[in-house]
Amino acid sequence: MLKRYAVRLGLAALTALFVLSLRDVGLLDFTRLRRGLRNLGIFFQDMFPPDPDVVSELVRALLETLQIAFVGTVLGFALALPLALLATASLAPPFLTAPVKLVLAVIRTIPSILWAIIFVVAVGLGPAAGTLGIALYTVGFLGKNLYELFEGVDSEVLEAVRGVGGGRAQLARWALLPEAANGIISQLLFMFEYNVRASSILGFVGAGGIGFYLLGYVQLLEYRSLLTAILVTLCAVLVIDRASSALRAALR
Amino acid sequence: MASAPPTAALSVPALAVAAPGAAACAIRLRDIRFHYRKRAPVLEGVSVDIAANRVTAILGASGSGKTTLLRLVKGLDQPRAGEVTVLGRSRPRGGWRLDPRVAYIPQQLGLVRGRSVMENTLTGAIARVPAWRAFLGFFPGAVVAEARATLESLGIAHKAGERVRNLSGGERQRVAIARALMQRPAVILADEFVSQLDPTTARDILALFRQIVAGGVTVVMTTHELDMVEEFADRVIVLRDGAKVLDAEVADVAVMELAAVIRV
Repeated sequence: MLKRYAVRLGLAALTALFVLSLRDVGLLDFTRLRRGLRNLGIFFQDMFPPDPDVVSELVRALLETLQIAFVGTVLGFALALPLALLATASLAPPFLTAPVKLVLAVIRTIPSILWAIIFVVAVGLGPAAGTLGIALYTVGFLGKNLYELFEGVDSEVLEAVRGVGGGRAQLARWALLPEAANGIISQLLFMFEYNVRASSILGFVGAGGIGFYLLGYVQLLEYRSLLTAILVTLCAVLVIDRASSALRAALR
Repeated sequence: MASAPPTAALSVPALAVAAPGAAACAIRLRDIRFHYRKRAPVLEGVSVDIAANRVTAILGASGSGKTTLLRLVKGLDQPRAGEVTVLGRSRPRGGWRLDPRVAYIPQQLGLVRGRSVMENTLTGAIARVPAWRAFLGFFPGAVVAEARATLESLGIAHKAGERVRNLSGGERQRVAIARALMQRPAVILADEFVSQLDPTTARDILALFRQIVAGGVTVVMTTHELDMVEEFADRVIVLRDGAKVLDAEVADVAVMELAAVIRV
């Protein structure tokens, strides 16, 4: 009985909070919403037809975006893998796993675009900053996914191989990594997909890639070029997602 | 069987019927108590002497503490109280590296399924080749030859390149034995070893175990298949609710008696 009242009270409070927040963010201002809808219509009208003249510069920028994602993913993975092993409870001692998990969590809290801003300050404008930003976020994100994958490895296999009498490095080499191999590749492909999307907006902060053009077209009101840029990005992302999920399915 | 301890007449429930001589004792447990965290005890006051170069079967219903007993002997778990002595050495507490002379085959075998039969077999030799060689997978030629000979003797050399995932249950069992043998073990602990096999394959595998024992290895296996015990084990220990209720020579016990002891 008491529990049911508590649930109702909770639901009522949640609803009130929602309506209040809705008003605070401005979504109860109907004249503004009506204006917004009209503007959106104009915006879409101005986007058509897409501008074919900018395709070549966009493709060049898109290639840079893909390079940022590729190099960033590989560098991040190179660091994430050893860190994930150190964070795996079934492999490393607790005095290591706890701090490494904390470090990975802290890195992950900061999105790649913020890391990119930090690296723009450090190494200057351009794709180098973006690549480092992507790499660092990858360490945090992939590191967590990998140690969760490792901790899910069948404990019987780990115990059987540990019983053979080797050290921790041998256990990782002969039981943990081979058991998790398909999962690692799958995570890596997923991370690359994710990073392609993340690096397409790095240009907003001057960290290279197609995002520089996306932002520029918005600021210069060149909506036809903007549509072209969006379509080019969309094509690339779709192709990569398809290829990667086909690969991952093949692994299973 | 020369070192077989003297047998004693059995009365049920008989505790610690015949204590084998100290020299032939491979495994000695004294007043073992074990429980997981704050749960009820899994083993309570268990003392066991397991003679060398024999097959000892540990029987009991599920939850009776059979697996825990093997894990304690292997050193995967530490007793809360009592003493575990294996191969004359009192077990050091909390060590991470385990003694390769004690081979442990868990219930699901613990093979790396995505890797080949050969790789799984070579894994058994990790502790006796230089660490860097083991890590890089450069096993010395002699070790590789030994692995091949071991697979040969177990009749699965023709599957050396096959992934474990693609093998049948009986073949997997043989790979697990091959890995254990590559440890050059003095003791093999096998948990529910043949319970998932059809009777014919189970008999083949257990006959292999008899050969291994003849080569000077002590085998301890948990099982609940009474006829297999009668046929292949020298000694039988029965656990019930974490306590030892029978410890006797197989020759002295009738299967019907065993069944009664387990279920009562």
